[in-house]
Amino acid sequence: MGHTDLSLDFAGIKMKNPIAAASGVFGYGEEYSRIGDIRAFGAVSVKGTTLKPRAGNPPPRVAETPAGMLNSIGLENPGAKVAAEEKIPWLRQFGVPIIVNISADTYEEFSELGTIFKDVEGVSALEVNVSCPNVRAGGMAFGLDPRSCYRAAKAVKDAFGGTVIVKLSPNAADITAVARAAVEGGADALSLINTLLGMAIDIRSRKPLLGNITGGLSGPAIKPVALRCVYQVAQAVTVPIMGMGGIRSWEDVVEFMLAGASAVAVGASLLVDPLLPERLTRELAGYCAREGIGNPGELVGAAWR
Amino acid sequence: MSLLVNSNTIGAGAEEARGHSGGGALREIYDVNAQVVSVAVVPGEVYRAKLVAPEIARSARPLQFVNVEVSQGPHPFLRRPFSLSWFSAAEGLIEITWAVVGEGSKIMTQWETGTEVRVLGPLGNGFSLKDIKGEALQNADRPRLWLVGGGTGLLPMYPLAKEAASQGWEVALFYGARSMAQVMDTSRFVKAGCRVIVATEDGTYGSRGRVTDLLEPVIPELGHEDVIVACGPVPMLRSVKNLMALSAAPLYVSLESRMACGTGLCKGCAVRAAGDEEKYYHVCSDGPVFRADQVELGGAP
Repeated sequence: MGHTDLSLDFAGIKMKNPIAAASGVFGYGEEYSRIGDIRAFGAVSVKGTTLKPRAGNPPPRVAETPAGMLNSIGLENPGAKVAAEEKIPWLRQFGVPIIVNISADTYEEFSELGTIFKDVEGVSALEVNVSCPNVRAGGMAFGLDPRSCYRAAKAVKDAFGGTVIVKLSPNAADITAVARAAVEGGADALSLINTLLGMAIDIRSRKPLLGNITGGLSGPAIKPVALRCVYQVAQAVTVPIMGMGGIRSWEDVVEFMLAGASAVAVGASLLVDPLLPERLTRELAGYCAREGIGNPGELVGAAWR
Repeated sequence: MSLLVNSNTIGAGAEEARGHSGGGALREIYDVNAQVVSVAVVPGEVYRAKLVAPEIARSARPLQFVNVEVSQGPHPFLRRPFSLSWFSAAEGLIEITWAVVGEGSKIMTQWETGTEVRVLGPLGNGFSLKDIKGEALQNADRPRLWLVGGGTGLLPMYPLAKEAASQGWEVALFYGARSMAQVMDTSRFVKAGCRVIVATEDGTYGSRGRVTDLLEPVIPELGHEDVIVACGPVPMLRSVKNLMALSAAPLYVSLESRMACGTGLCKGCAVRAAGDEEKYYHVCSDGPVFRADQVELGGAP
């Protein structure tokens, strides 16, 4: 059994392992730094950032559901200026590739965000959030329709110039059509999936449980859906894919890779098990060593190749 | 998802941590594999367990909490937040006390001596007398701490009562429960030197009425030498806040919330900040303890 190398070049992002933090469970790293080592991640995607600060949605914002959870945080974030001037410079010290997740209501705003982060040192890529189910305007709307997704991707790519990842919604009627449009618009990579639109009702009050009524479903419950999306999209495009949706074990990581993901991200499970990336990396390396796999890249898309 | 049973502060720890730039070396929050050393059903229809968690016990403050894993499988998915009802740095032990309210707390009733569970903590700002020393209490001959606990809101106040009493504060506890069956044992408060006054809604134990009925008569005598800390259901906290509106004594409330991470990662446990501006605090990382005038508790002003 030879030495296993977990590193990869993900659309120009040099990741030392294929485990990333998904946007929305990592903030900008400050909270995480009190619990675990940020350097354990191959890359981190920061909280969905908008041009102006957002207070977020009214509570309750989270609810547990079978093998998962609903959230309607509503993109609470300090805005692009604070992110660019304070949050990213702080996070840079860890030397882990930083992906800035951006969300907007209009193409012009997407373009403006691209321009803002173009000049920020340490930003390895922008992740275009066209799939957030928790904001009224914009958000997921861009990710449901191929034409809108194309325009959003293009607006960011033209302004930013660097690596652009488009984060896809499983709520699209045909995710492969949206994926192809994103790549046509200039996406260098795709990340999928964002949460599934869902809800819960409190039978005592007889009202929706979340303050925002609907929310995004995440956790192990959505893994089969995510896997199916990755499997389909990976065959429809040639750009690399970051797979996510319910990942909580090394077996899950391997499954996503076999479906066609070059890298993966942990989302809801990081909230439950904050030290998950260290364990996944160690166990993935162990698996590769046992199987005689030199680099897990060998697994990518093996389920359909 | 369960409810956080309470805690918090005035943020000193968290702010310091944020200012720290050691890059991951500093770990103020520990995820430990904790072994249950005792578990029992105790008066008040609650379960109580002590766990070995030296790292957490060593750095915990009163009114902090922990997030407890209830399943290693995918369901129930989230950990459950519980306030620390007792902890001892010397013994390396923490204690949590819970009522069975749902799936997670029910699973926890199957714990036995030797059971190992992952426990994340200490979490939240917590509350310590040091946080309030600046508020005109400096010159008080004998500062007084008034604890107002509703239901399981009693639980996290014991470490604070003990700390205050040991530092020469006069400590009183007003404790309200639904009925005698739900009245928890308060003997440890008494042993710590704390005066305990109990009310039940149906009058089956102590006086008949709500905990606010106990508090109301003493409010006129509260001043700069007094501090009030309340923990319990939001309607109770709202009543206490309204009663205290004109008092000079500072009121702190420890909030509960639906919660996922317990560490500030997800921004799920939002509580509306007081004032006209749309702004939210997070119970897990800004709280669970807030100055009552910092947060919106709903209802009539």
